[in-house]
Amino acid sequence: MSGAPETAESPFSGDRAPLPPRVDLYTAAVLLAFGLAVISLAWSMPTFVEQSHTGLTAPGIVPGFHGLVITFLAVLLALRAVRRGALQPSATQGRALAPGDARQLGTAAFLGVLYAGFLIGTLPFWMAAALFVFAFTAAFEWDAGPEGRVRRLIEAAVLGIGTGIAVTLVFERIFLVRLP
Amino acid sequence: MNNPFVMLGDGFAHVLQGGAIFHAFWAVLIGIVIGALPGLTATMGVALLTTLTFTMGPQVAMLVLVCVYVGAIYGGSRSAILLNIPGTPASAASTLDGFPLARKGMAGRAMGISTLGSWLGTLFGTLILAMFAPSFGEFALEFGSYEMFWVALFGIVIAGSLSGGDALKGYIAGFLGLLVATVGQETNHAYPRFAFGNADLAGGLGLLPVLVGVFGVAEVLNSMRGPAVKAVSSKIDSVIPRVRDVAQYWRTIFRSGALGTFIGAMPGLGEDIAAWTSYAAAKRASAEREQFGKGSVEGLMAAETGESACVPGAIIPVLTLAVPGSAPAAVLMAAMMIHGLNPGPMLAITAPEFIYQIVAMLVIADMVKLVYGLVLVKPLLWVLLIPRSRLMPVVFVLCTVGAFAITSRLFDIWVMLGAGLVGFILRELRFPMAPLVLGIVLGDLLDKNLLRGLVLSGGDVSPFFTRPISAGLCALTVLAALWAVPGFMDRVTGLFRRRQPV
Repeated sequence: MSGAPETAESPFSGDRAPLPPRVDLYTAAVLLAFGLAVISLAWSMPTFVEQSHTGLTAPGIVPGFHGLVITFLAVLLALRAVRRGALQPSATQGRALAPGDARQLGTAAFLGVLYAGFLIGTLPFWMAAALFVFAFTAAFEWDAGPEGRVRRLIEAAVLGIGTGIAVTLVFERIFLVRLP
Repeated sequence: MNNPFVMLGDGFAHVLQGGAIFHAFWAVLIGIVIGALPGLTATMGVALLTTLTFTMGPQVAMLVLVCVYVGAIYGGSRSAILLNIPGTPASAASTLDGFPLARKGMAGRAMGISTLGSWLGTLFGTLILAMFAPSFGEFALEFGSYEMFWVALFGIVIAGSLSGGDALKGYIAGFLGLLVATVGQETNHAYPRFAFGNADLAGGLGLLPVLVGVFGVAEVLNSMRGPAVKAVSSKIDSVIPRVRDVAQYWRTIFRSGALGTFIGAMPGLGEDIAAWTSYAAAKRASAEREQFGKGSVEGLMAAETGESACVPGAIIPVLTLAVPGSAPAAVLMAAMMIHGLNPGPMLAITAPEFIYQIVAMLVIADMVKLVYGLVLVKPLLWVLLIPRSRLMPVVFVLCTVGAFAITSRLFDIWVMLGAGLVGFILRELRFPMAPLVLGIVLGDLLDKNLLRGLVLSGGDVSPFFTRPISAGLCALTVLAALWAVPGFMDRVTGLFRRRQPV
């Protein structure tokens, strides 16, 4: 894509700036441990030889196969990372997240887990949804400065209550879907 | 009585019963809005809308989901042209020429080309589906357990090889997906795998909660990073497509339509690859290739036709093999199963009319899309201006509803959260998501057919390699894997080059 403008997205959504090889090495280590754990769990599953007479329907065969492949691919990933210089001291340069991103992501993830993991099931659904939408919008629009903050907060509250009521009505009354 | 024209007519008559047109209009509109909003993808749209269709009849439900799918893939081009941000990954290629056209003050013309290209693309792909799916479905009846095992594995391998920048990570993602699908009771002995004594885990990880997590929650997190996007060109010229564009670029339209449909029909290769391949092929064949990337009408037409032709293409293997051709098609397939429509080789026997009903649905969706393409310009601009801090929490709420609705278990919401966080981390580590989804969807198919094949052969693995279709599929799988080995393709082409006379 030589003629492409610089701002254009990459052809592949997962293909952003490459990660430092050291990160790939750590990933490979985690995957290797995971693959081996899967193999060991699959190995310890019963084989049901008495029922099937052959043992060919053993529940562990398929997950064991997947575990083996993941282990093998993890080793390949580790070898590739080493070949790309993962063990050299400069390999840690570069970071996956910009500092501001980490805070934004942390806030979004925290609010999401708080809402989906704890508020739902504790509060009525419409109230949980309203609180979550309000908190989310308010948190991300707080940084826009003190000017107009009250208005933004009121809008966030209206959006929250509106979402809670609208989602409850549309899903429960019109589409007859059960809500948490 | 299996006259295809009669069956097609019946398909239209069946689909158009009741308020189908009304459903088509709202569903395509939702699809276009979802597609146009950066951060909301077609896959997420189909997954979320599946919740809404639970209480509908299977026909209406499928019509709604097909309309959302078709609309979302098209809608992505709006933000590609106006914001230089692809609304869905499929529209990435459209930014290359769409945005430069908009900058030249021709945003309306660019949208007209995109509407026309997309409309023709889906129509072309649907024609191919109608012509080939029934006969391919009959051929697929020859596929036994051994063949289906290879089909599933081929899907994972080719998706890994081609759908992300890093093939190795693609394979890993694919096998992680396959592994996720093994959690819970297996079919032969009802043994709960990886349940650790937990009754919820023994029930398995629901397909929809996992998909909503990977594509919904992870996407919400992803779009909350970085600076907010602003600036939309608000002056739009006429969006009426010009007949001259079709007459001038008919070769490009046919080429892109054929390429898009073919790539769609390959398991796991989605609309983004279709658009990029069509774009690259058009550039190579074009007389005005220096214009590509600077606002070429032909380039935008190729990308749009390719991505939209991919939609019917991706449905072909769903109907004939129960193997999805793209990530949104994977969710569509899951929805078919939820509604008791069993896609796969048996469809040609049990419900051949369903293939023609899908054709009718695609044509209806395509026509409605054309209508919106011509009239829906200004309102979409307002939608694009909704700040993410207000849109994303609402999307997140819809995700929780979608994950919970199918079995009404709070556990499913935890599954969605877990899948979302893991999906986000995997994305950060540059693992492509398409093979992961394909793995999750194909896991059951691979599991059942591997074990069934082994039982049938008494533990002998040779039928997996010696039966003719099996051997062919095995060779294709190996080839797809070798494709990704660095230097392999160069060596193969070098081999042929050396043989040529100097």
